[in-house]
Amino acid sequence: MTLTEQDFQLFLFALKTSSKYDFSDYSEKSLKRRLLKVLTDNKLNITALLNKIKNDPLFVEKIIKEITVNTTELFRDPQVWHAIRYAVLPKLKNNSVINIWHAGCSTGQEVYSMMIVLNELGMLDQAKIYASDLNTDVMEQAQKGEYKYRFNIGYLDNFDKVIKENPYNYEEYYDIPYDKYFTIDKASDTIKMHDFLRQKPVYKKHDLVKEGNPMYVKFDIIFCRNVIIYFNYNLQSKVFDLFHRNLYDNSALILGMHETILGSYSVKFQKKGHVYYKN
Amino acid sequence: MLLCLHRLKHVRSGFVEALSLKSNIPIEEPNDKDQLKPGRAYLAPANYHMYVELANRIALSTDAPVNHSRPSIDLSFITAANAYRDKLIGIILSGANRDGAFGLKTVADKGGLTIVQDPKECEVKTMTESAMQLTKVDYVYSTDEIIRFLSKIK
Repeated sequence: MTLTEQDFQLFLFALKTSSKYDFSDYSEKSLKRRLLKVLTDNKLNITALLNKIKNDPLFVEKIIKEITVNTTELFRDPQVWHAIRYAVLPKLKNNSVINIWHAGCSTGQEVYSMMIVLNELGMLDQAKIYASDLNTDVMEQAQKGEYKYRFNIGYLDNFDKVIKENPYNYEEYYDIPYDKYFTIDKASDTIKMHDFLRQKPVYKKHDLVKEGNPMYVKFDIIFCRNVIIYFNYNLQSKVFDLFHRNLYDNSALILGMHETILGSYSVKFQKKGHVYYKN
Repeated sequence: MLLCLHRLKHVRSGFVEALSLKSNIPIEEPNDKDQLKPGRAYLAPANYHMYVELANRIALSTDAPVNHSRPSIDLSFITAANAYRDKLIGIILSGANRDGAFGLKTVADKGGLTIVQDPKECEVKTMTESAMQLTKVDYVYSTDEIIRFLSKIK
């Protein structure tokens, strides 16, 4: 199946006019690809899709979920987690409260990764964990805290790199068992996070594009990883503005490995290693 | 020049450095929305798909792997074919799955030129042979011939 530029524009227009969703400022390539997948998966042509968008609000919710799924994994990019563990968190050790926001948390692996690091540093109790996503399906999965174990692709290697090893001192090794944090069930190929982690975060449906700060607190750390790659410049600036206004001074913004702050907000943050700090 | 290789997703660094030792032009792993500049090579970063957007910019994505691969060669080819059409050369080298075959077909369909490394010379033939099954490629070349060809088109 192919998709003409006109089909794509009609789709954006239909969504914008018949629902509260506006994808006009999303990065085209990814969105087109996802739209094609929605058409194929639902066995629809573009005309039928446009009709359904106009007349079936439940269907709109369904395809929004299909379009906005993002992938995430436990301790994605260990070197970023090293920076969090050894550079960002020690400075917050004496705060009575640490507010952390995972903006675009998807299925929550990153939320759990952060709580595990906090717990290892004895900082979990003082942390308030907030997580949001546009897609309520993935957030339900996050709350469930159950994941494919995928032992065959070394899913837990990154856990070892961040939690057991110290990259700055190879002689140091913390023998932390996995079952301190989750149960591994090899028969069903799943890992299930323990309740003390599952029940901690506050989850909220939130549209980064349209809404302000959903949590009504300021933050010491904001995670927003591999979300803004789906936005164009305009939208990225809006999101950086939202983050900038809701971070304390010198607080940390963690982006994806290959995401950068462009445009006017680039001077309002300072990058050290893998972390952006609010000026 | 865009390079898309199947690579270990947890080995983040070292690859660009290793390639740079052998290269006469600068090689980088781009960030999302970087502008493509002539005379440079862009290597798809580990664990991201690398797309070409119409304004001559890179777009990265963490969408699900395609053909078990992220970066997916198909996706880099398809997006580059849509952006550059008949001004694109697609080259498939030795590799271990079918990724890239469909993408190379798209390059051909959009009027681009297609080259496949001679399977006789490949360490693993799956990738090149899959591409040749799907597309009537313009040239089947040894690596030396590919190098000579690319040096000439300047």
